[in-house]
Amino acid sequence: MIAPEEQARADFYGLLARLFYGPPDAALLQAIAATKMEGEGLGEAWRELSHAAAAADPQAVREEYESRFVGTGKAPVTLYTSAYTVRFTNEVPLAALRGELAALGLGRQPGVHEPEDHIAALCDTMRHLIAAQRDLAAQERFFNRWIAPAAEPLCNAIDNDAGAVFYRRVSRFAHRFFHVEQTAFEML
Amino acid sequence: MSTRTQRLSRRNFLLTVGAGGAATAAAIVAKTPSSQSPSDNKDKRATRGYQASEHVNNYYRTTKV
Repeated sequence: MIAPEEQARADFYGLLARLFYGPPDAALLQAIAATKMEGEGLGEAWRELSHAAAAADPQAVREEYESRFVGTGKAPVTLYTSAYTVRFTNEVPLAALRGELAALGLGRQPGVHEPEDHIAALCDTMRHLIAAQRDLAAQERFFNRWIAPAAEPLCNAIDNDAGAVFYRRVSRFAHRFFHVEQTAFEML
Repeated sequence: MSTRTQRLSRRNFLLTVGAGGAATAAAIVAKTPSSQSPSDNKDKRATRGYQASEHVNNYYRTTKV
C-alpha cells in the first residue's frame, strides 16, 4: 500500500503532466479551482493556481497554450527539457533518456516520433515510478538527471513570458513542487 | 543517521509541506476526465511543435500503471 505522501507526489506529477501535455478543459479548471490546499510554499503556489483556474476562460487558456508552447515554427517557450540542458553539440541526451526509459521498462510505441524529453512525459514517468513503488533511489536518479537540471530554466522561461498568464501560475506551482522534490530526495 | 530515520525525516518533511494533506485533492484533479481531444481542434495551426496525436496518446498510455 502506497503511503499518502507518496500518492500525493504521484498525483501532483500526474496533474503537471496533464497541464503541460495540453491545455486544461473546463472540467479540469473547475476541479483545480475547487481544490483547497493549506500552508505556505507549495500551498501558496497551489492557491495562486487555483485562483487563476477559477478566473480562467478555457478557450483563452487553450489559445495561450498553443501560442506559447506550440506556435507556428519555433515556439516562444519550449517544453522540451533538452533545450535547457544541452550545452555542447556532441551531447545526445535523448539517446541516454531512451536507454534509461528502456531500462525502466518504458518506451514509445512503434510509430511514435515525438521526443521523450517533453516535461509532460518526464512528469508522467515520475508518476509511474512512484505509483509502481519503485525504489526511492531510482526515482531520485531519474529526477536528478532529467528533471532537476531543466526545472528552473524551463519554469523561468514560462514565468518571464509575457504571453503566459495561466501557465505562469502552472510554472510557479511546478517550480515549487520540483523544489520540494529535490529537498525531499536530499534527505535520503 | 539510519535509513529508517532518514525515511521518517523525509516523510515528515513531505507531510509538513502539504504533500500528504493534499493527496485527496490532487487525486481528484488528476483523475478529472478530459472531454477535450486535442486532435478535435480543427482550428489548430499546423506546427512543428509538440502535438497531441493518437501516437502521442498511445505513448502516454504505455506509461500508465
